Amino acid sequence: MKVSPSSLVLKYFFVLFASAIVLYPLIWMVTMAFKPYPEWTTVAGLTWLPKNPTWQNFEFIFFGEAKGLVVSLDRTITGPFIASLVTSICGTIIAVVAGTLSSYACVRFGLAKTLPLSVLQLRLFPPLAVMIPVMVMWAFLGAVDTWWGLSLIYGIVTLPFAFWLMKTFFDEVPIEIEDAARVAGCSYWRVFYRITLPIVKPGLATCALFVFILNWSDYLLALLLTQKDWVTLPVYMATLTSAMGGQMYGMKAALGVIAAIPPVVFGLMIQKHLVRGLTFGALKQ
Amino acid sequence: MTDITKEPENSTNKQGYWASVARDGKKMGFWFILPTIILLLFIVIFPLFMQLYLSVTWWTPLEGIPWYRAWEVFSWGDNYVYQFTDERVWGALWRTILIMVVAVPAQFFLGMSLAYLFMDNFPGRKIFYSIMLTPMMIVPAVVGLMFYLLFQGTGPINVHLGLPTTFSWLTDVNRAMISVIIADVWQWTPLMFLILLAGMLGVPSDQLMAAKLLGGSNWQNFLKIILPRMKAVIIIALVLRAVECFKIFDLVYIMTKGGPGVQTETISVFLYKMTFGEFEWSYVAALGLTILFVLSILAAKGLAYIAKKDG
Repeated sequence: MKVSPSSLVLKYFFVLFASAIVLYPLIWMVTMAFKPYPEWTTVAGLTWLPKNPTWQNFEFIFFGEAKGLVVSLDRTITGPFIASLVTSICGTIIAVVAGTLSSYACVRFGLAKTLPLSVLQLRLFPPLAVMIPVMVMWAFLGAVDTWWGLSLIYGIVTLPFAFWLMKTFFDEVPIEIEDAARVAGCSYWRVFYRITLPIVKPGLATCALFVFILNWSDYLLALLLTQKDWVTLPVYMATLTSAMGGQMYGMKAALGVIAAIPPVVFGLMIQKHLVRGLTFGALKQ
Repeated sequence: MTDITKEPENSTNKQGYWASVARDGKKMGFWFILPTIILLLFIVIFPLFMQLYLSVTWWTPLEGIPWYRAWEVFSWGDNYVYQFTDERVWGALWRTILIMVVAVPAQFFLGMSLAYLFMDNFPGRKIFYSIMLTPMMIVPAVVGLMFYLLFQGTGPINVHLGLPTTFSWLTDVNRAMISVIIADVWQWTPLMFLILLAGMLGVPSDQLMAAKLLGGSNWQNFLKIILPRMKAVIIIALVLRAVECFKIFDLVYIMTKGGPGVQTETISVFLYKMTFGEFEWSYVAALGLTILFVLSILAAKGLAYIAKKDG
């Protein structure tokens, strides 16, 4: 199809304009992370690129103190970073394993016909409306502020995504291949493990990354179920000011940059399947 | 859309040998499904009864009695009665709905326009596409922080608009809500864009071609050819965003903490404040069950409606 030059120019104008709006807050935060204290606000004039670029903010959150800063920090980023990583990974494993197995059973054996919908319902309600008994239970089990307590709840709340995403991948596997293996004498487990799973391997990887992004992005559940030892990155970032009293824009921005990188990288990696994941498999690209 | 409403098909061919295979498969399938069932029971059945139980008491974790002895402070249905007269609940509900009816349509129109721009190929499309998707992949809490930084009195927005540093956004009665909505639209327009673009590209290109050859204008083609074929996609996108929007918490809580006063207090923020600010756990339990009940009815009605239209 021929596109006239004038409409192409118009298109670029709009696309560039939209990109500028998208990038505007991002650039402000990223540059903020490299700015020293006087440039945090626009009082001394608006600067986009830091006039005196510095690693001071990163130094501060990694080591608890930085050259030229009188304040210090008793909790560095190390703990929250590890907490985020461990709980996200464990939560992802729980969700993907349970989701994969049950969606396979739903697709192939026609079991539990109401399961897909009841799983979906988990995502319908505001988490806070159902968190009271969970918090009581977690306190009773001694799971509050532990890595496994948080991992478990992550695994449960992201299970619907894993379930529906894997369901769409299993739906695409032709039944004939599995039947052929059955005829050749493979047991069910072997068919699943040796035939089907390798076929959906790319899907499985996509699913794991997708669920990891969701877990990593959580703020609310960590806020409710952790106190000190297993506080995750977003919660740590939000408490940074309240702990110090003063405004710590630069440090928060540095933290924000670090927290934002993994999901963006993974998200761009699985770009092709984002639609499928986000619409619970109702749409494919 | 059909994927959600249709029951999972039993794809095994039920004849002769395969019938026995299907029977054995069911036994095997039980073990496959077990972990999910256990997780679901663990998080649904027992907590539901506990929530029901706590909601008819005055129990709070501060009183020093364990939750299972909550009957000592039995309150009958007082929590349930009180929630309907609680102005903060109604206020939070209206504010949540306000965010929904402003942000979701805004995201829809922006997303639709963007999708239309990206419909056919142009040099650099891939890069711009990735840029467009970035916001929704950023941790919501970080998005909250980004807009918190932008909307400071001493932030860049006021400089661009030529306003004094005393002009506040997040601590102003009206502008706090606007700031939150802007942040939500910024983060979630890409999701709309992504879904709508997928739907738009699904429109058969030969039909579009034919319409173009017959001399339809772009606008006519959009209205008559593209839009009708995107109905299901549009419904999915809108429902998805509306549901998520109702749960909005991270952005609001990080940007304004529900303030100033209660000006940006949404349902989730209100529940959070009740849980940790005031420790009214039995009240939150009652309110939570009410929300659960109402949303379940709405969801059932919605699904039935969609199923009827599909079938």
